[in-house]
Amino acid sequence: MAERRPQLALKRELPLVSDRPLARAGLQSERVLWPERGPGVFEREVAEIEDALLLTTIDKAVAWARSGSVWPDTFGLACCAIEMMSIVSSRYDIARFGMERFSSSPRQADLLIVSGRVTHKMAPAIRQVYDQMLEPKWVIAMGACASSGGMFNNYTILQGVDKILPVDIHVPGCPPRPEALIEGIVRLHEKIRAGVPPAYEIRGVAE
Amino acid sequence: MTYEAVPGVVETREAFGETTLVVDPARLVEACTHLRDEEGFNLLSDIAAADYLGWGEQGVAGYIGTAAGRDLHEPGSQGLAHVPAPKPKRFSVSYHLLRVGDVPARVRVQVWLDDGEAVATLVPVWPAADWFEREAWDMVGVRFEGHPNPVRILMPDDWEGHPLRKDYPLGGEPVRFSGED
Amino acid sequence: MTVVPSTRIYEGTRIPPRVPTILDVDPSKHDPGDILRVNFGPNHPSTHGVLRLIVDLDGEAIAGIEAVIGYLHTGFEKTMEQKSWWKSVTYPARIDYLGFHANELEYVLAIEKLLGIDVPRRATWARMALAELNRIHSHLVWLGTAALELGAISMFWYAFDDRDAVLDLFELAGGTRLHTRYVQAGGLAEDLPPGFTDEVRKFCAAMPKSVDEYETILDKQKIWLERTKGIGLLSAEDALALGQSGPVLRASGVDWDLRKNMPYLAYDEVDFDVPVYANGDVYDRYKVHMDEMRESVRIVLQCCDRLDEMEGEPWIADDRKVVLPPRHELHTSMESLIYHFKIVTEGYRVPEGEVYVVIESPRGEAGCYLVSDGGARPWRVKFRAPSFAALQATATVVQGALVADMVAVAASLDFIMGDTDR
Repeated sequence: MAERRPQLALKRELPLVSDRPLARAGLQSERVLWPERGPGVFEREVAEIEDALLLTTIDKAVAWARSGSVWPDTFGLACCAIEMMSIVSSRYDIARFGMERFSSSPRQADLLIVSGRVTHKMAPAIRQVYDQMLEPKWVIAMGACASSGGMFNNYTILQGVDKILPVDIHVPGCPPRPEALIEGIVRLHEKIRAGVPPAYEIRGVAE
Repeated sequence: MTYEAVPGVVETREAFGETTLVVDPARLVEACTHLRDEEGFNLLSDIAAADYLGWGEQGVAGYIGTAAGRDLHEPGSQGLAHVPAPKPKRFSVSYHLLRVGDVPARVRVQVWLDDGEAVATLVPVWPAADWFEREAWDMVGVRFEGHPNPVRILMPDDWEGHPLRKDYPLGGEPVRFSGED
Repeated sequence: MTVVPSTRIYEGTRIPPRVPTILDVDPSKHDPGDILRVNFGPNHPSTHGVLRLIVDLDGEAIAGIEAVIGYLHTGFEKTMEQKSWWKSVTYPARIDYLGFHANELEYVLAIEKLLGIDVPRRATWARMALAELNRIHSHLVWLGTAALELGAISMFWYAFDDRDAVLDLFELAGGTRLHTRYVQAGGLAEDLPPGFTDEVRKFCAAMPKSVDEYETILDKQKIWLERTKGIGLLSAEDALALGQSGPVLRASGVDWDLRKNMPYLAYDEVDFDVPVYANGDVYDRYKVHMDEMRESVRIVLQCCDRLDEMEGEPWIADDRKVVLPPRHELHTSMESLIYHFKIVTEGYRVPEGEVYVVIESPRGEAGCYLVSDGGARPWRVKFRAPSFAALQATATVVQGALVADMVAVAASLDFIMGDTDR
């Protein structure tokens, strides 16, 4: 089975997106897998935003601190909750991102990972939990059901939790592999560090 | 396995290795009490209500490549539209019973009802029937007379309509390319 | 219609008299002024998903309880009525998302019963091996989360580490960790990959030692014993009256396992024991789960030996009306091309009839009631959810317990909200 997992060589010279140090520290998974390609869309946009925002050093420090300990709320709904639990486990350790402290109380949580299908009966409860969270707060819609209703397009499933909540990151998959969820979380960290405001502050996103 | 002693049985069907006892709804509790006490069916496994509105209206053709039910004049139906045998009434409520003991056995007790007809609750016979009957009421709209707590269980309390009825739409949002008709 | 209740069920049982599933406050035991109604809402620290319990507390003692469900009702049954037989197989896995293989299996077994096709033995034995691996997976997650809720937090990491090993095996066979959709009407969707049985044997060599480790951690631990022994009692009569099955029934002293008493697949050809414990408390349910993991490992090893003998045999039935022909035949055989076209565009049709197929899922008796009108889509699919029955028993099991015990009881009943709400 060892042959099936490719060994990635990470010590390589990679082209810089810009000479800003933060952009160099960004997610480089696309460049790792396709070394010939340039920076991906996400990286370019994050770099552009960062250039445009001209964060002060204090802002950057605050953003770095915020991204280093985003505490999720235990909001497991369905199958995706099992994969969310597995990122807490030792193989896909989420403690390396400072996020092992799952809080059951939304008052002490920063991140709401909506993992699973949201029914119309459950929607007011989710909204109440989201409202109880303190700013700054982020939402990850994990899985196909939370992003768009998934394979269920019927009388009872809310077609995407972004109908009731402002969502920062959608993670596709049914269920997304733990690695996929971690990629979504790492991209969220990148957005935070670049200074992108949480979704509720962006005009046009549902509030 | 003979069930002649069970009171109220209107018809007995054997298919696919399973026995179905169709029972007169008015004598359901009597029949189930007999099955529980005399025949030893001590576990109620499931209560399934089904809506047969529209059963057989669309001809369902036979197997691909078989001669059963072919009509050359009906394009796309692969043959003489084979219409399944009509059902006696609109709703069926099937009670799946299990005998946990030395001689395991399963039996299905079935009652047929029209819209608006009610059937007696089986909660005094098997307490497990409580939530199953609530679900049948919630989803299909079959009323159970004497049920101690006949409120919706799966849908929100103020929901209108019974989702698993055939005239209730699937709902959801229109999607541009869905692949199903 | 006069209803004549038999007193034989109610003698000596703890089933709440008015509504079996709602425990009302008994004014003779608790002063109504002392009662505090607490809502354990759909979002709560325990890891069972969206269950809502409305609990009446007298101090810390539970005076009344009511479970409110439906927060995860997905409308599986109605959605599957609109999908062709082929496409609808993707849905059942998501019902009981820990025992995903069991749900797929019961649905496909029901379809095969109506179709009357013969499944080749390689597929049967592979399905059995995967069902037992799934049982191990479900029990590991149960163990990790139940122990986490009771405070034995480190068990979570141990159990999930082993669980990742099981999911690696599922990924090897089915391509994805969860919801593999590996069963197809007629057999398996694809053959088992080469080297699968070797990997399974490696896992099975390590697994019993892990179970021993878990028992060393928990079995004689004073806090675990105090929190689980004598808590959440359910007698055998109550369990049968409330429709319990699976580990809950076996922990109450009833020797009943569908794999032994009403065997399906090839369970009558394998050698295993069924753990039965007599006390009916949380500790016994825990012991049943642990012993079942060991028995599952035994079954899986026997399946591996038989699968090695059947190397090279077909993994799906030969009935071209239901099963896609192998791709190389499409180049040479006109009939295969026609069948392929018909199956992919219209889908196969299942003869008219109704069946009820029940298997022993990790949670107990999981059944699929399937009604077909002879067409390309199911007419009615109803899944019998063991978690639905388990939650019904909450009001009976939790009597006389404290609120902290309620967590232990809820964990031990091993319900999954996806299974309950469907």
